[in-house]
Amino acid sequence: MGVNLSALVDFTPISLSHLSGKIIAIDAFNTLYQFLSSIRQADGTPLSNSSGKITSHVSGLFYRSVNLLQEGIKPVFVFDGLPHPLKTLTIQKRREIRNRAMEEWEKAVKEGDMERARSKAAQSSRLTPEMVEEAKVLLELLGIPHLDAPGEGEGQASVMAAAGEAWAVGSQDFDSLLFGAPRLVRNLSLSGRRKLPRRNEYVSVTPEILELEVVLERLELTREQMIDMALLIGIDFNSGIKGIGPKTAVKLMRKHGSLEAVMQEKEVNIPKFQEIRDLFLKPVTIPARSLEWGAVDAKGCMDYLHEQFDFGTSRLESTMSKLAKLKSSRSQKSLDQWF
Amino acid sequence: MFKAKIRSEVLKEVIDVIATQVDEVKFTITTSGINAKAVDPAHVAMVDITLDKGAFEEFKAKDTEMGINIEKLREVVKLTKSGETIAMELDEDHNRLVLSLGNITRNMSLVDTAGMSDPKIPGLNLAAKVTLELDELRKGLRAAEPVADHIALIADENNFELRADGDTDFSSLTLVKDQLVELSCKEKQRSLFSLDYFLNMIKAVSSAQNITLEFGNDFPVSMDFTFADSKGKVSFLLAPRIEND
Repeated sequence: MGVNLSALVDFTPISLSHLSGKIIAIDAFNTLYQFLSSIRQADGTPLSNSSGKITSHVSGLFYRSVNLLQEGIKPVFVFDGLPHPLKTLTIQKRREIRNRAMEEWEKAVKEGDMERARSKAAQSSRLTPEMVEEAKVLLELLGIPHLDAPGEGEGQASVMAAAGEAWAVGSQDFDSLLFGAPRLVRNLSLSGRRKLPRRNEYVSVTPEILELEVVLERLELTREQMIDMALLIGIDFNSGIKGIGPKTAVKLMRKHGSLEAVMQEKEVNIPKFQEIRDLFLKPVTIPARSLEWGAVDAKGCMDYLHEQFDFGTSRLESTMSKLAKLKSSRSQKSLDQWF
Repeated sequence: MFKAKIRSEVLKEVIDVIATQVDEVKFTITTSGINAKAVDPAHVAMVDITLDKGAFEEFKAKDTEMGINIEKLREVVKLTKSGETIAMELDEDHNRLVLSLGNITRNMSLVDTAGMSDPKIPGLNLAAKVTLELDELRKGLRAAEPVADHIALIADENNFELRADGDTDFSSLTLVKDQLVELSCKEKQRSLFSLDYFLNMIKAVSSAQNITLEFGNDFPVSMDFTFADSKGKVSFLLAPRIEND
């Protein structure tokens, strides 16, 4: 979801070890969705325990978090609060897509079309309040801080990064740049490969970083103009202008300078544009609080994952032993503080 | 305008040094030589490299800049042997660099420099200054490699030590003042660094004999050396790791 700028900017690959000692504010909903849609069996059935309870989200969260902690990275997970009223239409559309995908998935399984089944299954992913609670319990056992944003989790995470409370935002979306995050890191993934949507192919993925300053320089726009550009393309809060994609939008913004000027020139109107702009420029957030990374409760973690989700004890033990080997935290500084 | 001839081994060292930080770089060209500054994506390390016009066999230039893909340039240099000469000419009309080596001509498209910001160089006041033979430093790093993923640089009035404390093993390179080219340090200074980063940068140095390290207490280290008959200057900077932060 969110605005797609991949046609306009390139990410720079970065290794996880480069992020050692850094605080990354992770968009929790975005990440859990990612797990729910990608961690599935060949026919699209999500991972589940013996009583049929879905475990894809805890599995992904557990192994990814351990991976990050091992590298000395300090994650903080930021959960979404209430969706903004302007997002209602998007949410309603997503629900329709999900319900339709659910039916098509069943149909594809019956017809034996496994590729289609997996793809439809991924689209039917639903993150329940129960899953969110399960994720929070696991994070606490791992000693990883989490917080609830009053509004968009991505907005909260971005404001934290802009204030220097986190080094970067971790998300697959570009929206954190609109929210003013100085750096966006994506593919903080553990598997090293990801399935291409709607195709039976995998691409290897490595963590990548995008810096706001570089993006703005490349686009030749200010952040305010980039937000206006996103409104033209269409984002979670509006549907954009038909026929205007990223490349046209950036040209129009460079030429006319503001959304108002573009709308006048093209004789179109984007309803409530000022309200949407303000969502990005002044997101609803909670004030900073001190973040602490506690010790990992190894036994608590193993018991929780084994008893509630039927995780095998031998794999759990080997993963936990990796964490036990973690040395006293030595944190890599960046040169920035000496400039 | 930029038109020059350079020995293959000098260009190779320039490439190796810059490749420790970035894949693409912007060269700033003036009438007196060329310079590049590059910071690695995590902002942990940076390099500032200058090549005086005297390092070139021939050099003619007016103020300009050019964006280069380092790996592409490396491919070209690989076609030559040490001692051979490579001719370069900036073709600003077609936004490319034209390289000639022997009977080969290679047109290389330039990289857009719009997204490349000029990194600032931090002004640091570092209390310890140590100049030693590069081979000694290499030995100390090699000894540390199997022991830990970090090394400490320690100096006082009379000694310089490079030590690695692992979980079970330990390694130390200790040099007294007489064994060093230069040591100036009034009070004991100690900073910790990622061994990976340190090695990566030192491995890129091929021709220098001595290297000067300047560091403090939990401060970045600067590593300075010259090459190409002192006509080339490199300054690396590496941010420290802080213990029990």
